[in-house]
Amino acid sequence: MSERRENKTILQLERVSRFYRTRGNVFRGGGRLVVALNEINLSLRAGEIFGLVGESGSGKTTCGRLIVRLEEADQGRITLNGEDITHLKGKKLREYRRQVQMVFQDPYQSLNPQVTIADSVAEPLITNKVGSPLDHMERVLKVLKTAGLSPAEDYVYRFPHQLSGGQRQRVAIARAIVLEPSLLVADEPTSMLDASYSAQIFEILQGVRDKMGATIMFITHSMASARYLCDRIGVIYRGHLVEQGPAEQVINAPQHPYTKALIDATPKFGRAAEVPTYGTLLAAERPANSSAGCPFFRRCALAERLLCAGTYPPWRQVGPEQVALCHLLEDAAPAVSTG
Amino acid sequence: MQQATIQDLKAKRRALWRQRFMENWRVFLRNPLGRIGISLLIMFGLMAACSYIPPMIDPMYHPMTGVDPKVVSSVGPSWQHWLGTDFMGRDIFSQLLAGARVAFMVGVSAAFMSVVLGTAVGMTAGYMGRFTDTALMRLADMIMVLPTLLVVLMLAALFGKLSIWMIVLMIALFRWPGVSRIIRAQTLSLKQRPFIDAARVSGASHLRIIFRHIMPNVLPLAFLYMTFRVTSAIVIEAGLAFLGFGDPGTVSWGMMLQWVWKTGHMFQAPYWLLPPGICISLITLSFYMLGRAMDEVLDPRLRDETQAG
Repeated sequence: MSERRENKTILQLERVSRFYRTRGNVFRGGGRLVVALNEINLSLRAGEIFGLVGESGSGKTTCGRLIVRLEEADQGRITLNGEDITHLKGKKLREYRRQVQMVFQDPYQSLNPQVTIADSVAEPLITNKVGSPLDHMERVLKVLKTAGLSPAEDYVYRFPHQLSGGQRQRVAIARAIVLEPSLLVADEPTSMLDASYSAQIFEILQGVRDKMGATIMFITHSMASARYLCDRIGVIYRGHLVEQGPAEQVINAPQHPYTKALIDATPKFGRAAEVPTYGTLLAAERPANSSAGCPFFRRCALAERLLCAGTYPPWRQVGPEQVALCHLLEDAAPAVSTG
Repeated sequence: MQQATIQDLKAKRRALWRQRFMENWRVFLRNPLGRIGISLLIMFGLMAACSYIPPMIDPMYHPMTGVDPKVVSSVGPSWQHWLGTDFMGRDIFSQLLAGARVAFMVGVSAAFMSVVLGTAVGMTAGYMGRFTDTALMRLADMIMVLPTLLVVLMLAALFGKLSIWMIVLMIALFRWPGVSRIIRAQTLSLKQRPFIDAARVSGASHLRIIFRHIMPNVLPLAFLYMTFRVTSAIVIEAGLAFLGFGDPGTVSWGMMLQWVWKTGHMFQAPYWLLPPGICISLITLSFYMLGRAMDEVLDPRLRDETQAG
């Protein structure tokens, strides 16, 4: 796969930040600022499956929502094929969304209960005025088959509640790929499904990449599924990107303590006791005086007090195309670019 | 695509809607309230439909203008006049039938108008949020605290006799806020659901999201509230008519009660007093029961699953 892939960048995030303000009131004044994403730099290459891995609350879903422009970045720049899309509005935004689609996490919530499968899947075609109603039906049937619902004719005139979770997620994928987008954001598409369904969903996503040439951003909390599906992986912790590199390398030779902790947390088959391989996660959070230091300082077992608590770590080149954000990798060369 | 596939798909779509309707209908009919309500309503519907027949048989059966020349004061039931006559010899039974027609007309049209208005306002407020929401909801609050009957009474006193359609319009204008609050609450919760995000990513405009995605989800609720609004519209109209502010050119049940009272037959002519009173109670009750049964169709949590087996 990697041979035929071009190294052309399709999507680029440059120092993208997103803040949320908790609601204040008359007596307490303005709310607290919560950083969901902090100066994220990312680039997706055409035709790859990029995995964004992190625990819940780490900002990975926010990142996906920024890319499909369900939310707007507070700082930074997002470009698709070199075109700035950070603050698109109106007609241009609609044109942009022909190229970028999203599969949501919860298939029980992401399909309108009052709309039939046919109408749900045809919606992007209707709103973007592609083809006639007859074409629509033809394309809907085709795309449902691609998403593994066959015979598709049996599914088109049903309501979502008449389908299982796995089938609904296939419908959601079908809706996302009916416009043949060049970029697909899949936000934990399998977290609500049985494991047996997950493998099928992964296969469909791979098929979408191979047959349609779509680039996929796969958001997940599971290192195992990222390893199964992705070409490259980015690890995100509390809004900070901490490690990035080819999937095999990141999983076999993780460099950042948080990545190691994530791999430790992966359930392993046939092993009852938890035997951490790396043991980089602190059992109890340690207090930190300033927010200037390493984002992972509070939970890092390896952290050196002074350096890690006080200064933000630099990017280090830890392998071919693999970079990590850590003070402790002193023997590695500073990274040239973080993208 | 081949012709056969298209035919096949069309058949599937029809089957889907039929199946959906039958499912809901079964749930509705399983509910005893629903069964009683719908039977009563069919009865009143038949009464309203039959109200055109007596005047055709003989002009003296016309509810408003027909007078039996042989009768000089109110008389009890007889073969000629099944429920007797009023003080000037008009047939009470044909008045009762005409009253059913007016009750349906007033109830359904006032309820329909107020629900359409309430749904539109509620969806707009809920979807737009911010200033629009605040402005519309405060307006709704202001109208909600006005006592409908009193205000309509005052308007009637100011402008003289109101026509029945003015009364309908007035009831509609005073009765939408309740609906709009409920629809707004529902819209607020729907707006946060991921399928709205999904529609937005699909490229749907705000109008499309409102009409295609939010409206089908609030319409059942709006329809449910319509049945309750019918009840209140009928009661308000009857109250107005009884107090003497109804449309003098229309025979409604409230009007009949007013005639009984005004001519001093309150305790002298039960055959005249009781039928319209009972009819008002029963028609409001039947719409209420219809609403309760529909509630169960719309909210599966209310269903008694032990019966389903």
